[in-house]
Formats: sequence, structure tokens, C-alpha cells
Amino acid sequence: MEFVVILVILAVIGLAIILIYNRLVALRQTTNQAWGDIDVQMKQRYDLVPNLVETVKGYASHERETLENVIKARQQAIDATGMKDLAAAENMLTGALRQLFALSEAYPDLKANQNFLALQRELADLENKIAAARRFFNNAVSEYNTATEQFPAVLLAGPFGFKPREFFEIAASERAAPSVSF
Amino acid sequence: MLAATGLRSHIWNNNLKSILLLAGFPVLIVGLVYGLTVLFLAWTEDERADLGRAAGEAAYAMPMVTPWVLLGVAIWFGIAWLSHQAIIDASTGAKKVSRNDEPELYNLLENLCISRGITMPALRIIETPALNAYASGLTDKQAAVTVTRGLTQTLNREELEAVLAHELTHILNRDVRLLVISIIFVGIISFTVEIMVRGMLYGSLGRAGGSRRGSGGNSGVFILVAMAMAALAWVLAIAIRFTLSRKREYMADAGAVELTKNPDAMITALMKVSGNPDIEGAPAEVRQMFLHDRSSGFAGMFATHPPMDKRIAALERYAGGNRPPPRAGAVPAV
Repeated sequence: MEFVVILVILAVIGLAIILIYNRLVALRQTTNQAWGDIDVQMKQRYDLVPNLVETVKGYASHERETLENVIKARQQAIDATGMKDLAAAENMLTGALRQLFALSEAYPDLKANQNFLALQRELADLENKIAAARRFFNNAVSEYNTATEQFPAVLLAGPFGFKPREFFEIAASERAAPSVSF
Repeated sequence: MLAATGLRSHIWNNNLKSILLLAGFPVLIVGLVYGLTVLFLAWTEDERADLGRAAGEAAYAMPMVTPWVLLGVAIWFGIAWLSHQAIIDASTGAKKVSRNDEPELYNLLENLCISRGITMPALRIIETPALNAYASGLTDKQAAVTVTRGLTQTLNREELEAVLAHELTHILNRDVRLLVISIIFVGIISFTVEIMVRGMLYGSLGRAGGSRRGSGGNSGVFILVAMAMAALAWVLAIAIRFTLSRKREYMADAGAVELTKNPDAMITALMKVSGNPDIEGAPAEVRQMFLHDRSSGFAGMFATHPPMDKRIAALERYAGGNRPPPRAGAVPAV
């Protein structure tokens, strides 16, 4: 009789462990997928930047500094390791691109270039998509982190290697309009 | 925020109601058919009509009839499952659009979907100057968001995003599924009652011609009973319709604000829509699905949507929104 009771208790505990473990795996998988979404959009943006720089060079070659800033920011974003570095580099790239587009206002020929306009549209769209994907990622991370910290899941999270994830934050400056100085 | 309180239980309620509807409906329809069969038998009986005997005969016939009734319901439901989207589109004249047709609108919806990590529903447009929108589809694969041409032309980007987020929230909250299931069932009930009542009428006509019955004293009673049955079915249909709480609209408004973080745009969008929401030719069943619908029956008792004023007041109170300052003639008064 006692044996049966112990067996039932063990079975219940085992079942609880399986359920908690599976939930954590599912939540972690969602954060990975969400990150994949962001990654794809960011890579597309990196691919478009050289095209943009080449197009602008044809009309405004003496705006070297701005163009170099964009190229530098892109390279930094590609090389970035760790969430904080990447977020900072992405912010820089966004700022540099804004400066480039602001500068294009002074070049009517450039503004009339179909290629340039298409690139501008595409980059604006990608920026919106990255923002949306980041929102989803941060929500997923928040849900996952909360789940790993709750009792009794917290007892399993450590031994099974469910580490909390970092958020992909954006600086407040990105929300505000950029200050452009010529 | 309103969204934070009770949203999960709202979705849970919707799922439970969908299951209860699906499980309870076969019982309901068999009961209805039995009741109508009793009447039908009593009505068309050659000799002196007798409700008690008719009830017995009907009960005897039910084991034979039931499988056919259920089969009919299943086939009807299957056809509706596959083709409801096409039927709704046909009744409103909605046409599917692609990214190339409407890049801005498409991107707005796509970005909203990305931020919730869901697959994007199809996007449709109705070519009408009226301002309205609805979501449809029983499964995530069938899901679609439809807006009118007038909406895309009258609303600004933020307001359009708010409306799309509202419809997307209906899909996420499972309001759409529950609504479509209930519409299908209401359709089956009214069809059944109509067939049976017509059968009785023809039966009575035939008998009146033969005039085999001497007394004829019961016919008045039967007409009353038949009318009562029809009324009962009508009430049932209404009851099913109102398992869908009007709360769903507040929930979707709140969900839209949660997605867009812009309660002011939701408010101005609703104000604009309330001025001109009527799509010509849309049947009542489809109008329930709209962003806003003005028809309200007896003093609001049968309204499918809460009054616009209350929705805006809720957005002001719980989501921190503000009405735009009044400008002469700029926005139609609510």
C-alpha cells in the first residue's frame, strides 16, 4: 500500500517535471524564432546599405563623412557580439542612415533618382519591420524569463540550463527625431 | 489597461462557447426536429388530431430520422466551413489584394502580425466609399481582414493601423471563429423551421381542399403552436447570437491599443467610422462582424455593437486616450 502511494507521488512529480520542462523549451524556442525574424530583417538592411551608398556617391560624392559614417556603422553592426553592442551599433546605423536621407534633401537630382527612392522606401519598410520584430522578441523574452524565475520552474531552470535571455533594447534617442547638423 | 484584465478569460470563454455550441447544437437541432415533427404529424393526421398520439409516433420515427438530420447538419457545416469566406466576400463584394496592389496597407498589417509573431491573414478590400472593416475565417489559415476603400482613403496611417489591429485582435481573441460558427448554426435553425412550417402550411391547404375533417376546431390551436415554435426558434437564434458578448468590441479596441500604443488614433478612427459605416447589401449576419454597426433593434436590446460613445469613453478611461479638440466640420459628431 505504501509502495503504491510512493509510486503515485513519484509519478505526479515526474509528470510535473515533464510539463514544466516542455513549457520552458517551447518558450525558449519562441524567443529563438523571434530572434531569427529580427536577424533576417537586419541582414536585409545590411545588404541594401552598400547599394544606397553607391547611389548617393554618384550625386553627392563630397559628403564623404556622412557616407563613411554609414559604412562604418554597418560594419560595426555586422561585427557586433552580444546584445548590447548590437543594439548600440544598430542605433548608430539607423542614425547614420537618417542623416544620409536628411542630406539628400539638398540634392534634387538624387531625390529624383528612382533607384534611390526605391532604396529609401525599402529601408524605411525594413526599419518598421525590425521594430515590430523587436517588439515580439522582447515580449517573448519577457515571458520566457518570467517562466524560468517562477516557482517551481526555477528549480528546474538552473540544472537544465535555461538561462535568462537579454532584451534587445533600443535607445530612447532612436524614437526621437535625429538632430541633423551640416 | 483594460487589455490586461480578463483578456485570457475572454479567450478561454470564447473557446468554451465554441465547443459548447458545436457539442450542443446537434442536440438542439434534433430536439427542434422532434418538436416540429410532432406538430407536423398532428397537423396532417387525417382523423381527429391528437397531440399525444403524434408525440408517440414522432418518438417512434426519431431513431430513423435523427441520423439523417445529423448528416444534413454535418454536410451543411462542412460546406459552410469551406465556403463561408467566399459567401461573405460575395455578399460584401470584397476582393483579395496583394502586396503589390496596396503596399502601404499590406505593410501595416504585416508589421502588426510580426509584432505578435503570427501568420498574416489575407487582406481584402471592398470598393465602397463607406467606412468599415471586418475579420473573418474559422481557422488561422482561412483568416482574413477586410477593409473598405473609403476607409483606406479617409483614415490616416495611424488610424488605419488602429483599425487593422482591432480586426487582428478579433482573430487573436477567437471572436471571429465563435461568430462564424454561430452564424452557420443560426442559418441551419431558421432553414429547418422554415421548411417545417411550410410543410405544415401546405399540409393544411391540401386538407382544407379535401375537407375530410368535420370539426376543424383544432386548426387555430395548431397555427398558434406553429407560430410559437417559429418564435422559439427565433429566440434560440437570437440567444446563440448573443453568446457573443458585446464586450468583444471593447476587448478588441483595447487589444488594438496594446498593439499600436496609440489610443488617440483608435478614437479618431472610431469617430470617423461612426459617421458612415453602412455597406450596402451586407446582410445582418455579416454586419455583426463589422467594426461598427448602427442597427440596434428595440432600444439597443438587439444591438450587436456597443454605442460608439461608450467605446470611445472606455478608450479614454482605460487606455489613456484623448478625443481630438473639436474643429469646425472636421470630424462628424458622434
